[in-house]
Amino acid sequence: MKKLLISLAVLLVTAVSAQAGPEEDRMAFIKYYKGKFPNVPMEEYANGAYAIDPVGRENWEAIEEFPPYEPFIDRGQVMWEKPFANGKGYKDCFPDGPAIAHNYPRWDREQGLVMTLPLALNQCRKANSEKPLKYKKGPINDILSYIAFQSRGKVVNVEVPKDDPRAMAAYEDGKKFYFTRRGQLNFSCATCHVQNTGLKVRTEILSPSVGHITHWPVYRSKVDWGTVGTLHRRFTGCNKNIRAKPMKAQGPEYRNLEYFLSYLSNGLELNGPGARK
Amino acid sequence: MSLLDKYRIRQAENLEKTMNRVQRWAAVAIVLGLMAGSTALLAGEMKADAATASEAITRAEAAQKKADSVNGEWRDTGKFIKNAKKAVEEGDYAKAIRLANKAESEGNLGYQQAVSQSKLEIPSYLKAMY
Repeated sequence: MKKLLISLAVLLVTAVSAQAGPEEDRMAFIKYYKGKFPNVPMEEYANGAYAIDPVGRENWEAIEEFPPYEPFIDRGQVMWEKPFANGKGYKDCFPDGPAIAHNYPRWDREQGLVMTLPLALNQCRKANSEKPLKYKKGPINDILSYIAFQSRGKVVNVEVPKDDPRAMAAYEDGKKFYFTRRGQLNFSCATCHVQNTGLKVRTEILSPSVGHITHWPVYRSKVDWGTVGTLHRRFTGCNKNIRAKPMKAQGPEYRNLEYFLSYLSNGLELNGPGARK
Repeated sequence: MSLLDKYRIRQAENLEKTMNRVQRWAAVAIVLGLMAGSTALLAGEMKADAATASEAITRAEAAQKKADSVNGEWRDTGKFIKNAKKAVEEGDYAKAIRLANKAESEGNLGYQQAVSQSKLEIPSYLKAMY
């Protein structure tokens, strides 16, 4: 009888966690991290690994005195203000801009997909007969840096509308991606960023997933970056690190993953662009 | 000790040395024989020619495609296939077969890895937080 009750309890927990909604997921992550890092205030998670890595934080704060991403912000401002060949510009596509980063990612009912800021920027360009920008490197990082800088202090508030099952399906798809082990190393996102958060991979402290999306785009000092790059470029790098074939930047898999990850950061302030090692 | 005894002892020592030499050479011969045999066996098994290499690459590409169909492809599978094709062009069929077999194995493992997780599983360390 006792065994039966235990089995039923295990089944119940399994069913609840697998079918939990976005808010239950977010609270479970927060509870987990609070248990692991009891002295880290919630708002600190917006600083990523530097919320839990005091030595790295000292370096980061020193770097932030002369931020390496400043030229990108300046170039992005020029892009924002410069009209397209047809006389229109980003301002016409985003009348509430440039502080609009907190509006993304969002569920786009008309197109039936997760709309991210880079995708929206390129849709604006295409609508105005401009060539779309590449999604990982190059000028997209200029305009994203400018928008991120202007959006500092805005609060992440991702919504998964309950009245559109496609939105929940996209969220669940992102969640599934997050927990799926892949690549030759058989790691999932959770292996590093939940199970082993706070431990080191080589010299790097593994960051918590709450706060992962608050500071993009990011200037990374490492040799093969040395520039500002997008969130989806980072996803690509993560997948390569575990020896999995990366997905296409701004493809449905990574956009849905961004949707799930962003929901986890609800309530945190945006502080991009960021600087990381 | 008489001269005869000394003679007998020396004879025994010489015999022992001879036996040791024979044993040592026999061991060397066995090892060489095994090496030659296994090389021949491997060569026989691999049949490193263009047709075998081409077949191995075809199998590898099929496995890669299968893994990709479930988003399970690994990072280096495509690179191994590319290098296998290059090895064929250079006439190094043994290398091509080795790389293609590696890619095929990766493709199969990547597929199995992905389909084995078709249902979402929250890991136990997080499940307890719900």
